[in-house]
Amino acid sequence: MTKRIEKWLCQMLVAILAIAATSCKPEEPQYAPTPYDLQQPSYFPTRNNIPDDNPMTVEGVALGEKLFHDPRLSGRDGTDGIRCCASCHHREHNFEYGAPIHTHHAMLPLVNLAWNRTGLGWNGGVATLEDMVLAAVTSPVEINADTNQVVKYLQKTDDYPTLFFKAFGSRDITFINIERAVAQYVRSLVSADSKFDRYLRGEAQLTEDELKGYELFCTEEGADCFHCHGGGGLALMTTNLFYNNGLDDEFNDPEDRSSITGSHWDRGAYKAPTLRNIAVSAPYMHDGRFTTLDEVIDFYSEGVKDSEYINPLMHHVMDGGVQLTAVEKAQLKAFLNTLTDENFLNEP
Amino acid sequence: MKKTPVILTVLLAMALVSCDKPNRYGNLSVGIDYSVNGMPLMTDSLCYHNEAGNTFMITEIQWFLSHMELQDTQGKWNPIGTFYIDTDIPESQTLRMAPVPVGHYQTLRFTFGLNEEDNLSGLYSDPPESNMFWPEPLGGGYHYMKLNGRYVNEAGELAPLNVHLGIGQNADHSEYYQNYFTVEGPIDLDVAENKDHLIRLSMTVDNWFRNPNLYDFNVYGSAIMQNQAAQQALKENGQDVFTWTFFEEPNEKDMKKEELAEEFNNAMHKAAPKPHFWNWKSVKERLKGKNPADTSRQSEEK
Repeated sequence: MTKRIEKWLCQMLVAILAIAATSCKPEEPQYAPTPYDLQQPSYFPTRNNIPDDNPMTVEGVALGEKLFHDPRLSGRDGTDGIRCCASCHHREHNFEYGAPIHTHHAMLPLVNLAWNRTGLGWNGGVATLEDMVLAAVTSPVEINADTNQVVKYLQKTDDYPTLFFKAFGSRDITFINIERAVAQYVRSLVSADSKFDRYLRGEAQLTEDELKGYELFCTEEGADCFHCHGGGGLALMTTNLFYNNGLDDEFNDPEDRSSITGSHWDRGAYKAPTLRNIAVSAPYMHDGRFTTLDEVIDFYSEGVKDSEYINPLMHHVMDGGVQLTAVEKAQLKAFLNTLTDENFLNEP
Repeated sequence: MKKTPVILTVLLAMALVSCDKPNRYGNLSVGIDYSVNGMPLMTDSLCYHNEAGNTFMITEIQWFLSHMELQDTQGKWNPIGTFYIDTDIPESQTLRMAPVPVGHYQTLRFTFGLNEEDNLSGLYSDPPESNMFWPEPLGGGYHYMKLNGRYVNEAGELAPLNVHLGIGQNADHSEYYQNYFTVEGPIDLDVAENKDHLIRLSMTVDNWFRNPNLYDFNVYGSAIMQNQAAQQALKENGQDVFTWTFFEEPNEKDMKKEELAEEFNNAMHKAAPKPHFWNWKSVKERLKGKNPADTSRQSEEK
């Protein structure tokens, strides 16, 4: 009888332990990504560049943000592994470096790129944001990483396999999914709350000088910026097209727009960058030759050079520029400062 | 009581008759082409002359054609559509439209640009149309047309040329002027059921610069968005800029519309004299030291 009770107690103990062990097992996360709501004002374009095979999700954007700021994206550790996207792309500088940098070109802002459908980079040679991630990670003058090494490194970490599962449904990390995650994060960087935005929405009024500056900005007989850099009717503040703006009259850059199109008419042509947050985006132009907005305004006012390749929209070239007075320059600068989106730049 | 079956029969017959004639449609495309000095447009070639004696080149033409309509023999106007057309976007040169009811059409009309009901800021949020926006201080809405290029000015220099049409304004921007206009003219178009039809719409670019107003680039300058006199002159000159031809379906039934358009273009190009291409350095050399008054035509002599 006693033996039967002992046997019964043993069986019960085993059963209880089994139940306890099962209940303590960590819960397997579910792959149920939440669609990301890309916030944009009504006056932004409706057509974006989100690819069908990389829809934005809350989990994908969060993973991309983590990767963007994580030096482990270099695939290296120790003192050699200090580079990630955020090493050079500083939010407070419109996701540029904020100072001259030793790469082959000046930087372009990483804002509102979800609506850029004309290629990335100064010459538009990179087709997608996903491709841009690969280019930046492997470039010898940027992160300079080996993609296989990056994947192996991240796979060994405690946190990333689960985050990749949540974002893409697989714990097996691939570089394609790294590209997709970072691209999703960059697409989520929307700057649309500057003083000029609030003016467009009827929530703020520009000062007299700012309004005069806006009028100069968008009139042919003023500073004539709008044909390339937009305005109220083109609120990305760029056409995202490519122009030779009269910076030079000799052209030797093998990476200008003509290197992509093969057309000699595109010699010395580069993308017109967005002017959103332009006040904090120095240095300026494709080669970063100007360090202040004043220098840029002076160039367009008196320093434009004629050549066979200059875009016809630079119609003031016969006068050397738009010939602004000192007061007009100050007014134009006042307007450009209304394009600064403090909430975006200071977001934690 | 006996009449009831008769009435029902009549009603049934009427219903059947009305169902017997469903709306029938044919397919219609409008192909756009451009000519200058009797030649097909060659962009980026400094080989053209206008009536005022200016030598010029064109880099691109971007414009809105709106409210295109066809009038049938009963006088009814059938809407075709509104289009953005861009020499840099080849696919925009063939306008695709919804099937057109079968019948004979006698008149074609359209608006060059956008009328005041359509020309509202914010109407287009996506490029390329949004790139045509016309700033609010100048009246808002959109450019009707951007014709960009360069011309040889009085000093013998190659100056930029921006013939941009849109809403005009007076000096202090207290008054605005609508500069769009309607083009209307006969067409002898039979639309047959399930057949393809092509209207070839041509812009004779040099007509912008003559009749009734001699348009001299040296007088009006490189840019005219804030020059209502120039806008008005071009508006008046624009009346005879557009012509059109109707092409019926080719004999080979499976010939695609694109091939038809290509055949037409090839025929036109074959007949046209060949322009010579602009060489910047040689033009500058030739212009150097010349009397500016002589340069406009002579600069192009070989």
